[in-house]
Amino acid sequence: MPYYLGVDIGSGASKGVLTLGAAVAARHSLRTGVNYRLAANELRAGLLQKAGVASADIAATVATGQGAGMVDYAGTQAADIRCCSRGMNSLFPGVRTIIDVEGQSTQVMRVNELGQIINFVISEKCAAGAGRFLEIIANVMQTPLQDIGELSLKSKSPVVFTTGCAVFGESEAVSRVAEGVSKEDILGGVHKALADKIASLVERVGMEPECGICGGGALNAGLVEWVQRRLGVKLLVPEQPDFVTALGAAILAREEAKTTGSR
Amino acid sequence: MTKVVVIDGSDKVLASVVRHTGAEHRRLANLVMEEALGQAAVAIDDITYIIATGYGRISVPFADKQVTELTCHARGVAFFFPKVRTAIDIGGQDAKAMKVKDGKLTDFVMSDKCAAGTGRFLEVIAQALGLKLDELGPLSLKSTRKVPVSNICTVFAQQEVVNHLSEGTALEDVVAGLHDAIAGRVARMARRLKVEPDVVFTGGVAKNVGVVKALEDNLGCPVLVPSEPLLSGALGAALTARETVAKLQAQGTFAPVKGRKLEAATFFK
Repeated sequence: MPYYLGVDIGSGASKGVLTLGAAVAARHSLRTGVNYRLAANELRAGLLQKAGVASADIAATVATGQGAGMVDYAGTQAADIRCCSRGMNSLFPGVRTIIDVEGQSTQVMRVNELGQIINFVISEKCAAGAGRFLEIIANVMQTPLQDIGELSLKSKSPVVFTTGCAVFGESEAVSRVAEGVSKEDILGGVHKALADKIASLVERVGMEPECGICGGGALNAGLVEWVQRRLGVKLLVPEQPDFVTALGAAILAREEAKTTGSR
Repeated sequence: MTKVVVIDGSDKVLASVVRHTGAEHRRLANLVMEEALGQAAVAIDDITYIIATGYGRISVPFADKQVTELTCHARGVAFFFPKVRTAIDIGGQDAKAMKVKDGKLTDFVMSDKCAAGTGRFLEVIAQALGLKLDELGPLSLKSTRKVPVSNICTVFAQQEVVNHLSEGTALEDVVAGLHDAIAGRVARMARRLKVEPDVVFTGGVAKNVGVVKALEDNLGCPVLVPSEPLLSGALGAALTARETVAKLQAQGTFAPVKGRKLEAATFFK
């Protein structure tokens, strides 16, 4: 049975999913760094090693993400929202609204039962609307990224960030620390601010149940909870939310191979 | 930055001091004031009237009056350049464009919600590049082919800049791109007013010759910069103080304040 590869070269991390037919054979991720081409090559090497196969065994590859154009071995590029939608649809056939929180952008898609996009909105102009805002504040608080979500949920009165700018937000966080505001309340404030932005995107697209969340931001259970509170719904969360877009790319690779009849 | 300007009755500048405001110094305007008094060689009792302006104007307990920075900027800029019609000020955390007529503010737009388009943009990126702020301007003038840099978000622009450098783009071309980004954004904001000459550019960012040039390119007209671009607000406050006293004296209602104490603000306590 042939292998299919989906690679998602993001601004922060590169993720790859190798499938054997429709089943996942290997997942691999690494920090992208500044050289997208290098990251893409290392990503494939890692996947091939994990699955114990040769590059010649891969029938088709689809690349997506910021660095999709740098993936020399990919037959096709696909838009990340398309890959993400197909990936979520394969995991949750009932999903109709998808929130994808990435490092540099947040996108919300409304999809049909086939995972095809009906409507979408992307926030990519500003770090305050993406996972990057959380990273910046976590850095100020000298708290590991994996701990910030849980701490944020302990907040009794989350601070209000006044400007909606990640750079000014960083200064505001420093000021609040100096004033003795608790770590929990500062982290609560930044999670709430991002959850509010995400919710406004969802409202623009129009929410239809079921609603799911993925992307690297969904690894943060605290953020997921803040968004759930804000939207008042329970969100579907995949086990490995950061690999959903790469999975969708692998699914598209398989479809492509079928339609073109290659190998 | 905290700035103090002391003038005499004929508008001659006796002292001007610029110091970092910082978090704690927000309440210590008295220290900067003392320094200015020393420089002018006058005592606090010799000061007839004090106007405080800027974001921290409420943190100056010894001031007689608070006036918005827009009014003071307009007044100060017109002192430097009497024919000014459009004043652009780019500071550390905001950017403003003002229409000025006869030293009076007639209209303004400002942006303080986002670091892009403020001096903060340059500070953050200069730090990422390991450059001092005052190195940016001269360096950018060597550019022969500036690269486009996002003017929407400082955080993303920082990453773009790093990517450009890793691709081998010359540093001066990247810095010229940065200056074009900030100038483009502020020029777009200024055009919401009708930009008319003379155009004067003040604030800390006006010390950067690269941004001055980029602003001229973006507005398509010459841009004048005073010799002390940081002082226009404080100078305008001093001029307004002198005029306020003259007006009150003309009305016969001026009561000089005696025994002023130079105390720290207790704002945070």
